[in-house]
Amino acid sequence: MQFLDLICIATITALTACGTAGAQTASAGVAAQTSAPAEAATLTLTFTGIEAKRGTIMLALYDEAGWSGGRPIRSEMLDASAAVVGISITGLPAGRYGVKAFHDINGNGKMDSNPFGMPTEPYAFSNDAKGQRGPASWSDAAFTVTAGGNAQTITIR
Amino acid sequence: MSFDPARRRFLAQTAVAAGTVVAASLLSPEAALAAAMPADWHLGFVDLEADLAPTAMRLVHGRAPAGLGGRLYRNGPAKFRRGTSSAGHWFDGDGLIRRFALRDGGVELTARFVDTPKRRMEARAGAMIVPGFGTPAGRDVTLSSNDDASPANTSVMMAGGDLWALWEAGSPMALDPVTLETRGFRSLGEGLAHMPFLAHPRIEPDGRVWNLGQSGSRAIVWRLSAAGAMEAATPIELPRASYIHDFTATARHIVIVLQPWIYAREALPIVDALQWQPDQGTQVLVLDKTDLTRRRLFELPTFSFFHLGDAWEEKDGTIRFDACIERDPSFGASGARALVAGHIMPSPLPMLAMIALHPDGRGTLSPTGIAAEFPRSDARRAGLPRRYSIHTGLYRGGPLARGIGVFDWHSGRDMRFDFGDGQVVEEFLFVPAGPAEAEGWLVGTTLNLDERATELHVFRADAVGAGPVATWRADAALPLGFHGTFVE
Repeated sequence: MQFLDLICIATITALTACGTAGAQTASAGVAAQTSAPAEAATLTLTFTGIEAKRGTIMLALYDEAGWSGGRPIRSEMLDASAAVVGISITGLPAGRYGVKAFHDINGNGKMDSNPFGMPTEPYAFSNDAKGQRGPASWSDAAFTVTAGGNAQTITIR
Repeated sequence: MSFDPARRRFLAQTAVAAGTVVAASLLSPEAALAAAMPADWHLGFVDLEADLAPTAMRLVHGRAPAGLGGRLYRNGPAKFRRGTSSAGHWFDGDGLIRRFALRDGGVELTARFVDTPKRRMEARAGAMIVPGFGTPAGRDVTLSSNDDASPANTSVMMAGGDLWALWEAGSPMALDPVTLETRGFRSLGEGLAHMPFLAHPRIEPDGRVWNLGQSGSRAIVWRLSAAGAMEAATPIELPRASYIHDFTATARHIVIVLQPWIYAREALPIVDALQWQPDQGTQVLVLDKTDLTRRRLFELPTFSFFHLGDAWEEKDGTIRFDACIERDPSFGASGARALVAGHIMPSPLPMLAMIALHPDGRGTLSPTGIAAEFPRSDARRAGLPRRYSIHTGLYRGGPLARGIGVFDWHSGRDMRFDFGDGQVVEEFLFVPAGPAEAEGWLVGTTLNLDERATELHVFRADAVGAGPVATWRADAALPLGFHGTFVE
């Protein structure tokens, strides 16, 4: 029986892309931060539900243009040694954002999948959005970031 | 081609009698079928609300055969409805494991639901929301993997110290073989979590397990030790994306029957993704167990099927196996949906046939004209030549079995026992009592509609027509199940 086998091939591609683009986006992030206007926003991301307390949470923050296969605005790696971990991303322009994340339990730098392409490491999207047969849609995952402090809690599973 | 020449001849002859034609035109197929069904067949598809604690069954007929001991484990869906919602298909109810322990002349029955993520999600939601073979996804259902959709409801096998509850589109679910407590999904190897594992493994006489997992035209061939440890997981490509519920094997070959019921689009539930393409014929892919890249492809006339018997190879290289074949997949596509909704829908019955794959590349199909399902045989002869097929008998026209049979491929005779109007029959297994193929017991269950109780029966394999030598009755009526295994 064929079941959900397409669930996350697109997700894997997107997250792998976010991993390799990390170095560039980090410097782009610094640039964005230094040139950010006074009313720049801070986004605090909290990841809950971490079962295997080892490895790394790999996350990528997107705007709408980058969500479907494009480049992230930022990408970050978080030590996943506790059930709940978090990070603050500063210097963001106000706007709509979405997060894709996975838990790189074995530390190989990629989101593992079985031979039929089904993810074997936990993953999540902002708003805890889920795709039925692929990654969550932008409309389900997008959230608004306004000037000042913002928070988003994501259950990774 | 004809699957049932006897029946076709019968119809041709009776059509000559004008009165019969008139009578047939007055009686719709639906009405005729409803009349052929036992009165309270719905009992086979009701919801069981709670597990059954171990309870002794009552001996109501005969006496326990001396020397017969062991556990019959069976699996099958037993919870279809929550709130106002219902599973959309017989294959989508929650798996209930039944353990019939035969010891000291008595039988003790325990039944426990598999504690799946699906069952938990649906209990929380108070609704049947998880998509399946014929059930659409409810609103707000979120699945992290196909294991989240598993009802773990199709079959069982022993794997080391675990009893595995099997589905076909996800991982085996391990249970405690005594308490039936759920232990969790088993990943068969590094990076192989959530890989599908069919509910019909082929087990060699020494215990080695072969199985398939499938995703469209991709498949994986599993090889496990007798203790259930993974020895190899080999990806293969299939020539077409057929629906695969079962496959078979000889001592040297994997035999994959590819019916023209094809994954033609992305859709859930599964039956909506499948398209019947009868002009494509049925194909059989044969792989060498020692080198899975060595393959042969045979062509057969079009048929659909769920179940095959164990295959064997003859001295000249001919591969043979029995199959319960259907003219089209309308039972799986719609008939088994209707059963849960309380309706009977006419659909072609499964008919016992012998398939031969000849060394010259020809494939042949020989029908017996006998309506049969759940083919089983002596497990000690799996992959080796044998003479008999044990089957349930759909002798009275409806989709539910009312008898059992033992078909003798040497004589062409079907030895049978009809349980009568008040019983619906489930799968029967062969339990050896001596070295010969017919020397042993047939052990299986029925749902006694008159008594509103599940029964366990033992037959002499060489005297099926004489009826059960022993029958035990439970206090409860369990919904109809699918497949089981006998552990001595």
